[in-house]
Amino acid sequence: MSQSHDEAARVLAAIVESSDDAIFTKDLEGIVLTWNRSAEQMYGYAAADIVGRSIGLLVPPGYPDEINGILKKIKGGERVRHYETARQTKDGRLIDVSLSISPIYDASGAVIGASTIARDITEKKRDIERLREGEARLRSIVDAAVDGIIVIDARGLIEAFNPGAERLFGYGSAEVIGRNVAMLMPAPYQAEHDGYMSRYLKTGEARIIGVGREVSALRKDGTTFPVHLSVGEMSLAGERKFTGILHDLSTRVQMEEKLREQASLVRLGEMAAVIAHEVKNPLAAVRGAIQVIGKRLPAGSREANVMTDIIARIDTLNQLVKDLLLFARPPKPNLVPLDVSTVLAGTIALLSQDAAHAGVSVTMTGKAPPVLADAELLKIVFTNLLVNSAQAMKGHGDVVVSVAVDDGACVVVVSDNGPGIPADVRERLFTPFFTTKARGTGLGLSTVKRLVEAHQGSIQVESPGTGGTRARVRLPLANL
Amino acid sequence: MSVLALIERREMSPQIAKKSPSLRVLIVDDESLIRWSLAEVLLDAGHVVDEAADGASAVSLLSRGKSFDVVLLDYRLPDSNDLHLLETIRRLSPWSAVIMMTAFGTPEMMDGAKKLGAYRVVAKPFDVHDMARLVVEVPRPASDISRE
Repeated sequence: MSQSHDEAARVLAAIVESSDDAIFTKDLEGIVLTWNRSAEQMYGYAAADIVGRSIGLLVPPGYPDEINGILKKIKGGERVRHYETARQTKDGRLIDVSLSISPIYDASGAVIGASTIARDITEKKRDIERLREGEARLRSIVDAAVDGIIVIDARGLIEAFNPGAERLFGYGSAEVIGRNVAMLMPAPYQAEHDGYMSRYLKTGEARIIGVGREVSALRKDGTTFPVHLSVGEMSLAGERKFTGILHDLSTRVQMEEKLREQASLVRLGEMAAVIAHEVKNPLAAVRGAIQVIGKRLPAGSREANVMTDIIARIDTLNQLVKDLLLFARPPKPNLVPLDVSTVLAGTIALLSQDAAHAGVSVTMTGKAPPVLADAELLKIVFTNLLVNSAQAMKGHGDVVVSVAVDDGACVVVVSDNGPGIPADVRERLFTPFFTTKARGTGLGLSTVKRLVEAHQGSIQVESPGTGGTRARVRLPLANL
Repeated sequence: MSVLALIERREMSPQIAKKSPSLRVLIVDDESLIRWSLAEVLLDAGHVVDEAADGASAVSLLSRGKSFDVVLLDYRLPDSNDLHLLETIRRLSPWSAVIMMTAFGTPEMMDGAKKLGAYRVVAKPFDVHDMARLVVEVPRPASDISRE
C-alpha cells in the first residue's frame, strides 16, 4: 500500500465515521465486519459488541428475516435502494429504517460482502402517518357531514361534492364534478352566478364570502329548498378555490310554517269563539221572533212562507258558524275504545236516508280491533269523506269502505269511482277555505284532518290520474 | 200584529191553560227579542211568564219569594259570565227546573251546569216551539204546596 493510498483510506474512514447515517459492512454470511459511530448510536450496539456477530441480531423477533433475501441479491451483484423495514435496537426499541445496500467486490471482481447505509426514518414515518391520519380524519368529517360541502374553482366549476351534498341535491358527485356550480341554483341566480364570481375576482367585493346567508337551492328533480350557505375562500397551489357549506333549512322552515299555522289556528279559535257568541245570540233572537210572527200570519200565505224561508237562511248561517267553530276550535276528543265498523255502519245508514245519496251504493269490507276514538267526531270525519265521494260521483256510483289493520293502526279507506282529483287541487285539499264546490265553506277536509290528528291519527288522499279517489284514515288501536 | 194585540194575548193566557198544565216560567236573557219570543210561545201555551234582563233582577225576583216551576237562564248576561248565577238560583229555588241557554257551550261549562243541577243545556239558536215543549217536560215535585 502506498502512502497516498493509506491517506485516501484514512479520509474515507473519517468520512464514514463522521456520517450521520449508520454505515456498516458484513460478509456474505451476514457477519458484521465494520460498524461506524452512527450505527452505534442508532442501534445501541458498540462496534465491539456486534462485529463478528450476525446482522440478524437487529431483526425484531417475529419479523420475517429478510436478510437472506437481501444477501442473495447482493451475491448476484444487485443493489438494494431505500429498502424500508423495522429494526430492533439493543435496548429492545423498534425503529423504522431505510436501508441502501451495495455489494463489496474484491480485486478480482467477486462479491465478498455488503455495505449498508441505514437511516433512522422513525420520525419521518410517524410524521407521514400523522399526516395521513389527519387527512383521513378530515376526509371522514367531510364525508360524514350532514351539511353539503362543495368546492369550486375560480371559474365556478365544481371540484368536490361530498355525500351530504349528494343527499341534498340528489346528484351523484360524478354528475356534477367539472360542471358550473350555477346548475345548483334556481333562476335568476343560475344566470347571474358567473357575473357574481367575476365581479368578486375583479373587485374583491364580497356579497356572500365570509358572510353566509339563506339562499334557495335547486335539486336534480327541479324542486327548490332553503339552505344556509357559507362560502370560504382558499388558495391551493396558487389557485383560488371556494368552499361552500350548505346547511339544509327545509325542516326548520317547515317547522316555522307549522308553528305559524298553529299560532294562526289558535287565533282563529279565539276569534271563532267570540264570533260564535256574538253571531249566535242575535241569530237566536231573530229566529225566535220570526218564528213567533210567522205563526201568527195566515197559514199558507206568502208572508208565512217567507218567514219559513228566513228561518231556513238563519239555520244555514248557524251551520256555517258551527262548521267554522268545529274547524277553528275542535272539541277535545273523548277517547274510548270503539268498533270503527259500527260507527261507519251508523254513518252510512244515516246518509242512505238522504235523497241526494239515493244513487250511491256503499259497501263495507274488512274489520279491525277497537280503536281509541270519539264516536261523535269520527261520525263527522266519515260523513265528510262519504259526502265528498258522493258529490264527486255526482250522486251516482260505488263507494267502497274498507277497514283493516296495518302496522299497528286501524286503516279506513274510503274509495270512490268518481273522476278523481286534479294535481293542483290535490295539493290544496287540506287548505282551509279552499273549495271547488259552487257552494261550500272549504272547511270539510281541513276539519277532517284536524279531527283525525286530534286522535293522533293521520289522513291521506290519493287520486291516481286514472280517476277515482281513496281517502286513507289511520287511527290508533285501543290496545296500543 | 200590534203591541196591544200582544198584550191582549198575554191576558188571555190563563184561559188557554185549561188543557195543558200551567207553569210559572222565568225567562232570564238580556236579549229582548229572545225574551219576547219565548214569552209569546209560553203564554200561548198557557203558562205564566216573568222576565229578567240580567242576573240581579232574576235573583231579586227569587229573593222576594216569587216561585217558578221553570227558569230559562242565559249563560252570558251583562252581570254574569259563569255558573255562579246558576248556583245562586239553585240555592234560592231548588224546586225550579233550570234550562240553560247558551250561544257557545264548552264541554266543561255543560258538565259544570249539569253538576249544579241544571235540567238541560240548550244551544242557541233554538226552535222556540221546541223550547216550549221542553218546558212542559221538566219533572215537577209531586206536591205543589212545597213551592208556596
